[in-house]
Amino acid sequence: MQNDAVRSSDEEIVRQVLDGNVNAFESILTRYKVQVLKIVKKHVPNDAVEETTQEAFVRTYQSLPTFKGTGDFSQWLSSIAVRTCYDYWRKAYRSREVPMSALTEKHPHWLEQVISEASEESRDELGAQREAREILSWALGKLSAKNRMVLELVYLEGLSVQEAAELLGWSKANVKVRSFRARMKLEKLLRIVKEQGRRP
Amino acid sequence: MMRSRISENESLRKAFRDAYAAKEREETGEEWQFQVMKRVRRIGPLTPASNFLPAFEHFVWRLAPVSCLLVLVLTFFFVNMEPDVDSDYLGTMAAEMEKPTLVELFGLEG
Repeated sequence: MQNDAVRSSDEEIVRQVLDGNVNAFESILTRYKVQVLKIVKKHVPNDAVEETTQEAFVRTYQSLPTFKGTGDFSQWLSSIAVRTCYDYWRKAYRSREVPMSALTEKHPHWLEQVISEASEESRDELGAQREAREILSWALGKLSAKNRMVLELVYLEGLSVQEAAELLGWSKANVKVRSFRARMKLEKLLRIVKEQGRRP
Repeated sequence: MMRSRISENESLRKAFRDAYAAKEREETGEEWQFQVMKRVRRIGPLTPASNFLPAFEHFVWRLAPVSCLLVLVLTFFFVNMEPDVDSDYLGTMAAEMEKPTLVELFGLEG
């Protein structure tokens, strides 16, 4: 019931904006900034968050005439945010440079430790470590924009194929294939890290 | 024996998920919000999307088979058509080739 009220007021704001009240868009910005920021922060580096979020909202504004009031505005906005992040990585992929030297000998050691770890408490401690973020960042940096986005959504966020497909605007079959390929690439990269630790 | 996949290790996956989720808590500034509204105001009021083009597109595809049939019928008709010289304006011109001046054709003489 409450959701219906929120949705109808979203539609009302959209109608106001389409009627020429540009300032009404500020209500959408205020209402959804946390949601969009959350999405963008997870997908792009910290120094690109503000610019990408800005871009996502400007694209939302420009796409408002195509918004069909029948769907969920929040979901529609999320898909624009995800696609803006995807575009960020498409551009960044062309000029990427992720040297192996970004990882040190502590990373293979950490990886071995996590894999062999069984207890829940230790998992929590290990999860909080910086090494996880560094290995993940290095591995994701080696992937194409498509593989990266699908891996983040399905493997790291735990979204279903259907949900990821809706956010990215791809077919379910495409997400499935990409997801499999991306997992295989991640596997290969993790093996490289692991092997690095075994070298004398 | 088949090698187990590193990426499927639950401990590692949880560590990666936690690290990934932690990115959400990073701090950001407020300036971007002003920039959004600045850009939005610069773009100005939006023009509502026209429903004509999508409807027209649908209409075109529906009429495509009829159009093809019409083209075939017309082609057949023109290929088999014999020009009727009496009623054809070009025929009149051909018959009057000796004096094909515009003045004569439009009856402006004398």
